[in-house]
Amino acid sequence: MIKIQHIYKRYRSVHALEDLSLEIPQGAIFGLIGPNGAGKTTLLRILGALIPPTTGQVWFGNEEVTQSPTTIQRKIGYMPDFFGVYPDLTSEEYLEFYAGIHGISRRKRSNVVADLLELVDLTSKRDALVETLSRGMQQRLCLARALIHDPDVLLLDEPASGLDPRARVEFRELLRTLQGMGKTVVISSHILLELAEICSDIAIIRAGQLVMAGNVEQVTHSLGGGNQIEVRVLERATDAKQLLKEMAEISNLLNENEDGEVIQAEFSGDNQALHRILAELMAHDIPVVSFAPRRAVDRLEEVYMSITEGASAL
Amino acid sequence: MTFTALLIKELRLRLRRERFVWLIIVYLLVMGLLGFGFLQRANAFSGGYQGYLLSQIGAQLYALLSFIQLFLIVFIAPAFTATAINGEKERQTFDLLLCSKLSAFSLLAGKLIAGLVNALLLIAASIPLFSLVFFFGGVSPAQVFSTLVIFVMTAVVVGTFGLFCSTLLRRTTVSTAAAYIFCALWLFAYPVISILTLGSSLPSNSRWYIWIQWLNAWNPISALNSAVSSGQGGVGSFYLFRLHLAPWVAFTLVSLMVTVILFLLSIVFFKPDPAGRFLPWLRYLGEKSEQS
Repeated sequence: MIKIQHIYKRYRSVHALEDLSLEIPQGAIFGLIGPNGAGKTTLLRILGALIPPTTGQVWFGNEEVTQSPTTIQRKIGYMPDFFGVYPDLTSEEYLEFYAGIHGISRRKRSNVVADLLELVDLTSKRDALVETLSRGMQQRLCLARALIHDPDVLLLDEPASGLDPRARVEFRELLRTLQGMGKTVVISSHILLELAEICSDIAIIRAGQLVMAGNVEQVTHSLGGGNQIEVRVLERATDAKQLLKEMAEISNLLNENEDGEVIQAEFSGDNQALHRILAELMAHDIPVVSFAPRRAVDRLEEVYMSITEGASAL
Repeated sequence: MTFTALLIKELRLRLRRERFVWLIIVYLLVMGLLGFGFLQRANAFSGGYQGYLLSQIGAQLYALLSFIQLFLIVFIAPAFTATAINGEKERQTFDLLLCSKLSAFSLLAGKLIAGLVNALLLIAASIPLFSLVFFFGGVSPAQVFSTLVIFVMTAVVVGTFGLFCSTLLRRTTVSTAAAYIFCALWLFAYPVISILTLGSSLPSNSRWYIWIQWLNAWNPISALNSAVSSGQGGVGSFYLFRLHLAPWVAFTLVSLMVTVILFLLSIVFFKPDPAGRFLPWLRYLGEKSEQS
């Protein structure tokens, strides 16, 4: 468990982080979401003991980051937003170098490197110069580098930016594999959808302050209400609204006073509840043209846009 | 172990670059062509190499090649280390090194040695050219040894100052420029001061006189001049540390002292926010002075 307690970070007159407190559960894939300049990179660098907070504390279990930065750095694997590669080395040499400076003995080094190249599916590229690798491959190589000393926690700063859709899917799969290995992954991004599908928990940061944190479902419910449905009818929209209002599954009609054939409502419950709502409408001969449930997770982007609207980058 | 890994990586990166091969070729061509030009000129003046002139030609050729080598080292060596640390920061690999088991000492020593290996390779590559001198004679093994030591120490000082600049300054262009300015000052400060003070007789116990003596003892041109002329030119000896020292010995000792100081300063400025680490101490001093 990582505990962040009331941290502030100031760069001269700029307040990069302000009174930010957060808990990151062990084994979670934790997403830090916020617009550019929100303070995500600063927070990751503090977590990695690369810069100290101006005030506040960060605990990795029983160890405080500023008190024992070297011990903490042994436990984390950090991947900056810019991959940080040496283009004139081969993939194997690149990993061997990092294995060496992490104190892995020469005898074990080649095995560790071979295993990691296999994990990130780059065995066929072991003798290729890093500069000849695609961006997706370089990113996987950097992830392998971050894993070289078998850290408990991975800090990944905007890892999927600039990747094509296929590379993103592959990267997502890789993160799930790592979660399966018991690693805690803290991942930052300004693209919410990138994280929504893989993160178990998220924190939304705006202008250095925490807006909301918790389980993905919880955050969306807290900020934007529950799940929604959108029903389009051919006619009898007023009857349909009245019917929906009376149903136990519908908690709120969002556009009750608007004219038109589209009805939006918040509902609670699972697929059974959705089925009951649709069946009720059909039973009353409401001419339904389309019936579109929208889960809270699917609406995360809207929620994010609304709460980060007008957030100025630092 | 961590130090070796860094050194291997640095050497791989540096020696794999095509520009290093070109650097050696241009370096040897410059030295070779200037040496060849000198021999042609000596041949034209003497109407063929006469026996009694050969040793003089050998000594003069050796002096010429040595000064060319010195200037080339001062001109090239800063480039090997002046971007060592801030270059890592620009590439965004510096944080990754900080997260490893590399100590500040190992990292800086690895960077310095790798940079110096490049400079030493240039010196080694020029040995066949220097060996031409032995056809003519006129150069003693002691002279060869002392000039070699001066070359190595010059490369070490210049390299360490480049490393210091790269830890102190954020931008690689600025640190490279600062290293070259230092090299120019180092080479030419003493000759300029001695020209300016020509004719003025400073008392030998004055502070200025002592400073100028130290500056002279640490000047590579003065040391090399004394070494290649074998006592017939330049300074005979320096009175430093209460000892009479040969110029190349004095130069080596002062250079070693400066190298150690610059290296220790590099360690201090190596980690992020070095000024920030001194702030509590400065605040404490400020509070003390306010109380008093």
